[in-house]
Amino acid sequence: MGLWAGAIETGVRERTGVSRRYPCVVFGRMAESVRRLLGKPGAVDLRPYTKLLESIEAREPELRELTDAELSEKAIELGNAELPYESTDLVELCATGREAARRALGERPFDVQLLGVMALLDGHIAEMATGEGKTLSGALAAAGFALRGKRVHILSVNDYLARRDAEWMRPLYEFMGVTVSWIGEESTREERKTAYGAEIAYASVSELGFDVLRDRMATHEDERVVPEPEIALIDEADSVLVDEARVPLVLAGAAESTEADLEMAEIVRTLKPGAHYEVDEEGRNVQLTDAGIDAVEEKLGDVDLYDENDTSVLPRVNLALHAHVLLQRDVHYVVRDGVVRLINESRGRIALLQRWPDGLQAAVEAKERVDVSETGEVLDSITVQSLVVRYPTRCGMTGTAMAVADQLREFYELEVAVIPPNKPNIRVDEKNRLYATREEKEDALVAEVASVHESGRPILIGTQDVSESELLAKRLAEEGLECVVLNAKNDADEAAIIAEAGTYGAITVSTQMAGRGTDIRLGGSEMGDRDRVVEAGGLYVMGFGRYPSSRLDDQLRGRAGRQGDPGSSIFFVSLDDDLVANHAPETRGYTAEADGEITDPAWRGMVDHAQRVAESQILDIHRNTWRYNQLIDVQRSVVLEQREEVLRNELGDRQLAVDCAATHAELVEEVGAEEVARAARLVTLYYLDRGWTEHNAFLAELREGIHLRFLGRRDPLDEFNRDAVPAFKGFLDEARVRAAEAFSELEVGEDGNIDVTSVGVKRPSMTWTYMVHDHPFSSALENMVGKLKGRARAGG
Amino acid sequence: MLGAFVRAFRTPDLRNKLLFTLFILTIFRLGSVIPAPGVNSAAIRDQMEQVQAADDAGIYALVNLFSGGALLQLAVFALGIMPYITASIIINLLTVVIPRLETLKKEGQAGQGKITQYTRYLTLALAVLQATSIVAMARTGQLFQGQIRPETYLPDQSILTLVTIVFVMTAGTGIIMWFGELITERGVGNGMSLLIFTQVIAVFPSSIMGLWEEQDTWLFALICVAGLVLITGVVFMEQAQRRIPVQYAKRMVGRRMYGGSSTYIPLKVNQAGIIPVIFASSLLYLPQLAIGLLGEDSSNPVVRFLQEYFVGGTHPVYMATFFFLIVGFAFFYVAITFNPAEVAENMKKYGGFIPGIRPGRPTAEYLDFVLTRLTTPGSLYLGLIALLPMIALGTAGAQQGFPFGGTSILIMVGVGLDTVKQIESHLQQRNYEGFLR
Repeated sequence: MGLWAGAIETGVRERTGVSRRYPCVVFGRMAESVRRLLGKPGAVDLRPYTKLLESIEAREPELRELTDAELSEKAIELGNAELPYESTDLVELCATGREAARRALGERPFDVQLLGVMALLDGHIAEMATGEGKTLSGALAAAGFALRGKRVHILSVNDYLARRDAEWMRPLYEFMGVTVSWIGEESTREERKTAYGAEIAYASVSELGFDVLRDRMATHEDERVVPEPEIALIDEADSVLVDEARVPLVLAGAAESTEADLEMAEIVRTLKPGAHYEVDEEGRNVQLTDAGIDAVEEKLGDVDLYDENDTSVLPRVNLALHAHVLLQRDVHYVVRDGVVRLINESRGRIALLQRWPDGLQAAVEAKERVDVSETGEVLDSITVQSLVVRYPTRCGMTGTAMAVADQLREFYELEVAVIPPNKPNIRVDEKNRLYATREEKEDALVAEVASVHESGRPILIGTQDVSESELLAKRLAEEGLECVVLNAKNDADEAAIIAEAGTYGAITVSTQMAGRGTDIRLGGSEMGDRDRVVEAGGLYVMGFGRYPSSRLDDQLRGRAGRQGDPGSSIFFVSLDDDLVANHAPETRGYTAEADGEITDPAWRGMVDHAQRVAESQILDIHRNTWRYNQLIDVQRSVVLEQREEVLRNELGDRQLAVDCAATHAELVEEVGAEEVARAARLVTLYYLDRGWTEHNAFLAELREGIHLRFLGRRDPLDEFNRDAVPAFKGFLDEARVRAAEAFSELEVGEDGNIDVTSVGVKRPSMTWTYMVHDHPFSSALENMVGKLKGRARAGG
Repeated sequence: MLGAFVRAFRTPDLRNKLLFTLFILTIFRLGSVIPAPGVNSAAIRDQMEQVQAADDAGIYALVNLFSGGALLQLAVFALGIMPYITASIIINLLTVVIPRLETLKKEGQAGQGKITQYTRYLTLALAVLQATSIVAMARTGQLFQGQIRPETYLPDQSILTLVTIVFVMTAGTGIIMWFGELITERGVGNGMSLLIFTQVIAVFPSSIMGLWEEQDTWLFALICVAGLVLITGVVFMEQAQRRIPVQYAKRMVGRRMYGGSSTYIPLKVNQAGIIPVIFASSLLYLPQLAIGLLGEDSSNPVVRFLQEYFVGGTHPVYMATFFFLIVGFAFFYVAITFNPAEVAENMKKYGGFIPGIRPGRPTAEYLDFVLTRLTTPGSLYLGLIALLPMIALGTAGAQQGFPFGGTSILIMVGVGLDTVKQIESHLQQRNYEGFLR
């Protein structure tokens, strides 16, 4: 049956997204489809909002006459009703907000910004181009929600932006009578608790996610910091909801420490690259060759690495090899004071609270011959998706949402409102320049930079990653072209630098994420010699290779042409680029001009094709993460519900009073009911968490190899569910039995309290976090699933 | 299995899906017995028995099978799901040949959507073609091998009527295609598979009735028992798999070492599924086609040869050829869908290995070895099952209508198992608490 199943399936999948999204009112549905037919697909109708603009404007003269106190009073009055806003209240909110922003920030929001506010209040994604003032729109909408008694969490992409936006908008919020706060990496537990409790809290997605994860491990109600989710307002929504969505946030805890595997570290040190092991193109995996296997086996004294009965050696070899080959000192980690510290690859700075999982940390420590620290074990994880979906109301803003409108609808039930720019965009997007090799591309780009730089026109070059940006900067410096490099190593410093990227004669090299959220004003942040820059043609954006999605390309382009400024953009692409090499069917047989440029339109089309392939792969990964996580989420919620009962209602105490009646009664007599309840809670929670951690490990293991089932013509997802369900059966009972066993052995310690650690109940001594980006083992696995699938479909 | 259905009906969400599926299938059956405008169906039914007596196994039966017997009735849904299947197969094969389709396929959802669109167009084109040829055959009386005079069932043979019939049948195919997608989208199981399933089992009641009327009680009982045994056997064989354990020796998990048990490659005994039978049947249709082209001139030695050995369907030479073709195609199909070297390479790349066997070439060789050993009995089984109706025809003296044809049973069991599994999976994903507490 498989032969036609593939074709059929996809045909349907394509349609499913469409059918669910309207309310079932037939009439509204028809009107909706007619509108959709005429307008951009997936976009929200802006007309109801535009209608109000006039009334908002009309309120302005009157509001200008009010004193500050009276204006605040007006804002607070809006809180006397429930959400959603009636249109008269909406007019009042926008008008008051506009006046408040003018007084508090010295910025009078444009009409288009108010359209954004209204779209956000309706729970949509507002697509607003770079420099249109998303932050202010978001703040006004957040104030709107907060005034009506809802707690708003504003999710930013990084800590710097969370803090900056909170501080920047604080005067406005104060004017409107709502409290604001922010959370950063360094915030303490107390600070977090207060901050999340504020009416509006700014936090980066990962901080929020890790706080939610840590809350799940709490042993007392008061330990938790994140309150019940109400409204999420997401900045850079596409990047958070789509790009980051497939990345689970992982909380790991210290388990027992392992022995340093110095023997293995020594053995892999003697292996020769190429002969004994090979690394794949992406530098993600390393494997022993046959000769390498022989060498290791011989050095270990004639063991069989692949022995059926003893498979414990091979993981040790693989870990040591991974640590030796793929992780380089000063690139991936540094050794300081005898401790291995990770460098966060995407940010290029030391990540204190990150460690490698699954024994890799110990392998690196053995490699560097430092003391082995505790080994980590995954306690729990959460995907950005599950994190956001917790919020009953979600909305957000970004510069590029239409391209992922389908995904936003499929995964988050969000619609996109396309807000027009305040002034029309006059940026010129030039055609891609395609070259055969990377060298030719680089030469051409450098030549272009040199010639444009002569005119004093500021240039921004977007690169794919940190190392590329550094190499390019070096090359430019060699040619006598001074440039500044930004690679998201320090968000605050870089924001200051990128603000100056529009200065006359500036050359800035940047990675994708660097300096996000900061405007590039022509003539520098003070716009000193703006006229001179405008005359030269405005900002010139050059892409050093296309990104894996057209959306990212557009984000780079959007740096130029802000607020009707002049500007232009161009991408330099080569057939050697990873994007093209990995995703295009054929990269040979071209005919190039003398300078290596390829002008054949067919070949240019190939680049677009490669990008579409990359986009679809990313989408597949996203969808897969989502599908597999559904069951896990159900199972997790069972555990969390039970946990909640134990935390709030002393369920553990009640259960143990029945299960170990004798011990329980004895202990109550000795130390009192309250202390016993505490101990019972700790023991019960420990075994619930313990069980969940173990189940999690089982699920991860199951997930890793589940794609192989496809070879037997089984649907991997069905198979996953089929295996995961029985494994979870009896989970709560087992945790209860284990807790009872431990509880019956409890004794009263010397201090007169029950000593729970004596029965092995202890919390992880420390926790740390990582995103699976940094998780070296699972990265390319998803790709393989895609490959196997593709193949099996081609054949059958 | 029954338990799963009962539980499924207790889950509101799943119950709606099941009811929706049944609803669509009912409409589908209804459309298969509503005659196209201008057709006098009573006349056909009157003379149906005579035709059935002359019906032979082979491609005609196969076509009939896929269109649920409706072909003979010139019904609205007379073409059934066959055009879509043919179109899917053609497009699938073309994907390998035409670079443009291949690039589309790689572009994921959007590209696949386009390919699906092409498949739909091709389906309609094929439907027009097939409908026209059926109408043409009906007009000349060929459709019923000249046994019924065309005037009786096509009283009005004006062009307008004929075009209307073609139009209605083509539209019918379009609607069936939509039905299939509706089921996949809003119901349970794969819509197309379920529609074929329906077509296959639709002929069961009538053929069993036929048996009951024609055979004596003992033989009837014997055939029914044989049928049940056969189905059980097929279920058993279709489920049979060899699990090759795989380990990913990259992570070390705390205290417990997981793995081994949950990570494996399931190799099915019948890894090729039903495709080899379909291929073999289609190939054996060629001689008949050749006769059609050469004319039924019995003086032509080629025609005589073909007619003697390859038409009829009960001749030992025909049966042996059919059998060997199936065995051959089974091996061929497994070879193109499962490439041990590639699987081994992928496993190696991500650190997986089969305990006791080195990664890389030794793993590929091992997989190949196991696969060959599995496919040998698998292909023999497939060949035997496919031959059964012909053997039954030849030996048991069951003159016609042995309902448990090999292909039908394979389809029935295959789709049945898949659908039940999918319901189970739905249950596990949705009604979670219901199981646990």
